[in-house]
Amino acid sequence: MNLFLAQLISGLALGSIYVLLATGFNLMLLVARIIQFAYPHFVVLSMYVCWYVLRVTNDNIVLAILAAILFAVFLNIVTQPIFRHLMRRREEETDINITFIVALGMSMIVTDVMSHELNEGFAIAFPEAWAGREAFIRFGLVTISMGEIFTLVVGIIAVIGFFYLLYRMKLGRSFRAIAEEPYVARLVGIPVTRMGIYSYAIAGLLGGIIAVLLSLLLGSASAGLGEMVALKVLAVAIVAGLGNLLGGLVCGLFLGIAEAMVMGYFPGSWSNAIAFVLMLVIVLAKPHGLFGTRV
Amino acid sequence: MAQNKVNLLKIEDLSVSYGYVKALKQASLEVNEGEIVVLIGANGAGKSTLLATVLGVHRADSGTILFMGDDITLRPTETIVASGISIVPEERGIFPSMTVWENLQLGAFHNTRDAIKNLKRVLEWFPILAERRDQVGGLLSGGEQQMLSLGRALMSSPKLLMLDEPSLGLSPVIVTELFNIIVDLNKEGYAILLSEQNARKALECAHRGYVMETGEVILQGSAQKLLRDQRVRQAYLGG
Repeated sequence: MNLFLAQLISGLALGSIYVLLATGFNLMLLVARIIQFAYPHFVVLSMYVCWYVLRVTNDNIVLAILAAILFAVFLNIVTQPIFRHLMRRREEETDINITFIVALGMSMIVTDVMSHELNEGFAIAFPEAWAGREAFIRFGLVTISMGEIFTLVVGIIAVIGFFYLLYRMKLGRSFRAIAEEPYVARLVGIPVTRMGIYSYAIAGLLGGIIAVLLSLLLGSASAGLGEMVALKVLAVAIVAGLGNLLGGLVCGLFLGIAEAMVMGYFPGSWSNAIAFVLMLVIVLAKPHGLFGTRV
Repeated sequence: MAQNKVNLLKIEDLSVSYGYVKALKQASLEVNEGEIVVLIGANGAGKSTLLATVLGVHRADSGTILFMGDDITLRPTETIVASGISIVPEERGIFPSMTVWENLQLGAFHNTRDAIKNLKRVLEWFPILAERRDQVGGLLSGGEQQMLSLGRALMSSPKLLMLDEPSLGLSPVIVTELFNIIVDLNKEGYAILLSEQNARKALECAHRGYVMETGEVILQGSAQKLLRDQRVRQAYLGG
């Protein structure tokens, strides 16, 4: 029972990160019409920035968090004109596949930079104080770390805040309107291009928060992490149904919990394999995802 | 009827093309304050293109569009909507998965200041929308969706209301009701420009009309004159 509880908490923490990533990914897909595969890579690169700032400022946590968030927003916004250029050349009939190829290229560049240039290609480890490795709660042999608790709390607050924005605020309402009927949204007077840029900025902000949470939860990062996370986010988004925000919420949480349970009850490294076998089965049975595509 | 001839919308020699296809050929048109103006013509005559171009959706090859004296020809759609033109799109164009309430709020994107006041008026016009407030738009009947679309267009306090084929796909009873509402809205002070294939109904409630064919305005005049016109009767009123 204790083990179950501990795995449930770490699963929820991981799951809320997947939810945030899938939602940021879906937001750009819906509002800006791009498949931003490199989004998780940007998040991992922001973890590197966070780590670097911690190192040079002698563990100044506030500065590190700020740097990670600002860097993620910056990176998301500076890459935006590339996609916008592609979309403009295609005019009305937007070819979403081309944005995927471009994003794939971006993701490879980011991975290569991390594996060749940053920390001489070695994995980075966050300092003890930051990662909150010390046990917060202990039941017998099972411990829940400070990092996990913090990730869980902030992750859930961020998910609630973000869904509040999407479903209760004017900005989110406009995002969903563009997602549903882009042409009508334009006729109604919603500034579609400007909203597209906002979606990048908000996804970037979210990415920065995710970078901070992920570094707390994992305590380390390496060049390959972006690829791994990106595949899972894509899997979550596809299984839920591309562009389905609420579906992403359910599937993200489910994947986090499922992974944590597998890690708790099965030997070692099977969690990834199980995640992808599950995805394969679901997509074969329901090609439009569990909750239906919205793109 | 339309005694005051204050000009609201003035389109001069407007040409628009899609690739090599000329969709509008030097079309000219005017809407004065307090008027209902109808555009009649068959499918593909350029009515919808004209309305969309006024809203800045298509880029004009040549010609000008003046709204309250300002040249709006090359302005982005959101600016044009904010300056006082709104549209009820063809096939209603509501957001089906969003609630009635959210659909209405989207209409107030540029006019949040008057949103409460406008909402009150819209709900007075269309009490059914108050009842259906929390229902998603896709579950409304065709007529209710048209009311929603109209209500949404009114949320931005427009001076000119454009309706693109408003009677399309609606039952005759609802169409009659719809045109009554259009006349009432006009009496409230909204200038109205509508495109219609249902030429008789539209001309009966309009002050003036324009007949379009393959991108050109081929005929114009008062609604009574068009109703009596031999060519109009043959082509659009069934003889």
